[in-house]
Amino acid sequence: MAARLLQGSDAVAQAAIAAGCRFFSGYPMLPFTDLLESMARRMAAAGGVCMNAETEIEAVNMTLGAAAAGARSATGSCGQGIALMQEAIAEAALNEVPFVVFNMARGQQDYFQATRGGGWGDYRTICLAPKDVVEAVEHTQLLFHLADQYRSPVMMYGDYLISHTYMSVEVDPIDFGPLPPKDWALDGSRGGTGRSRQIWTWAMGKANDPGPGPDLHWQRIAEKFDGVARLEQRWESKWCDDAETVIVSFGTAAPFVEQVVGELRDDGVRVGTFRPISLWPFPEKPLAEACASASRVLVFEVNAGQMIDDVRLAVAGRAPVTPLGRVSIDFSGMRQGEILTVPWIRDRVRQVIREVTV
Amino acid sequence: MAAESYSEAEPRGQRSQLLQHEVLLTGIGGQGVQLAAKTLAMAATAEGHQVLMSSHYGGEMRGGQTEASIVVADEGLRTVPILESVWSAFVMHSRYWPGVAARLRPGGVVVANSNVAGDLPDGDFRLFPVPAGDIAAEVGAAMSAGFVLLGAYSTITGLVGIEALVAAMKDLVPPYRTQHLVVNEAALRAGASSPAAPLLGAGAW
Repeated sequence: MAARLLQGSDAVAQAAIAAGCRFFSGYPMLPFTDLLESMARRMAAAGGVCMNAETEIEAVNMTLGAAAAGARSATGSCGQGIALMQEAIAEAALNEVPFVVFNMARGQQDYFQATRGGGWGDYRTICLAPKDVVEAVEHTQLLFHLADQYRSPVMMYGDYLISHTYMSVEVDPIDFGPLPPKDWALDGSRGGTGRSRQIWTWAMGKANDPGPGPDLHWQRIAEKFDGVARLEQRWESKWCDDAETVIVSFGTAAPFVEQVVGELRDDGVRVGTFRPISLWPFPEKPLAEACASASRVLVFEVNAGQMIDDVRLAVAGRAPVTPLGRVSIDFSGMRQGEILTVPWIRDRVRQVIREVTV
Repeated sequence: MAAESYSEAEPRGQRSQLLQHEVLLTGIGGQGVQLAAKTLAMAATAEGHQVLMSSHYGGEMRGGQTEASIVVADEGLRTVPILESVWSAFVMHSRYWPGVAARLRPGGVVVANSNVAGDLPDGDFRLFPVPAGDIAAEVGAAMSAGFVLLGAYSTITGLVGIEALVAAMKDLVPPYRTQHLVVNEAALRAGASSPAAPLLGAGAW
């Protein structure tokens, strides 16, 4: 398919439908609203259902219900609405119901929320942070695959620049390989068919066989997430082989940092850039390797300092880790503010490199 | 699917070899700046270019600041969505001009609606004043001054062709507004053929 000019939200909606998403529910909240509108416009023609819920709590629980019946399902909001969804996300992680949460955040201040979650129990959520609309189209499809592969809710960390930017993009279905059958899905039968299951947070079983109980069930889920942590790390690094300075950034902020780092390289400065694509699992070892020759690690994020915790865990004291960013929101409150520009980052990086060198 | 990494994706210095043009569109809410931006972006896409467009406007429907930026590349779009500097400006109103002037590269092309943006201070740019409001009124399309200026912009810069703009406009106008198609097309063509819109010596491509 030829490239078309699509708004990010519409590209994500089309990618979700191409990936087989047939249930979507959400409550309007910028910059997520455009995704809900695109889904509302497109889902019926694809034979699916899009529900404008009355609250985010309702939206995520409807999504959980549709997913428990075996439909590829998704919901979304921005961080403020996703705060309300935490209980259902935790329930879904522990009762192993797969769906996708599109987090069109109002900036980068929801990194902790996205990577730690606020529900109960030992659970994690895979979280991918695309750098632009083209990558968001790929991540959307990959997230539905990962959700089904691991029977778990998963998240995209987008923002205004993903949701509202128009880009030339191709939305072609991507084949990520075979998946296990959804033989666990509720099919509406009771008793005799043998296919009915309990989808319950304390164990998985049948009405006459309650399963292993919470201890074994939760141990098995913890092991599953340990496996995800090993297998599903994604990242991108550039110019790190001989870098004295490595700058870490995520999501839509990363291309700004990359441009500055490219300029510094042209000036002969030995600097590299590292971008975690999966915020969880955080690519800890790859980052440590990328920083092997670095005497300093800088972290640019548009918040008070959240991802820097994960960077420090990865670098483990082998080099000083210095924050470059700060809280910065524009006048609308919907997107990153004045520091997310190439000139601001360029000046800040040059200043910090000088300071740390002196 | 196994985990992935991407490393050392392209040779250094490639950034500077790309042919890429940036347009900053500015005006006040209600002048059709966002529609003009979308039309330009879609036309450039239809002509086979890689395009990025981002918009910025306040909550007001009319009168507030409205701005859009568009990047058109021959291939391999490599740009951030918030532009540091631009090659050209499309100025429907002078109210927010200082923010545009600050980002215009030396010698940049400025196509301005001289009816309400005829007072731009001098600077290091090539100014093309176009009485877009007057021309729109002459062709009976008073509401379509934005399309007049867009037509003129296409002739002056050569960034996109007039036929692609007309086709994109027709794609963008929703079914309940089809009564505007004829005057919109007249406005685009009047701007493109206006004596105020000379063919620029150094075209975009």
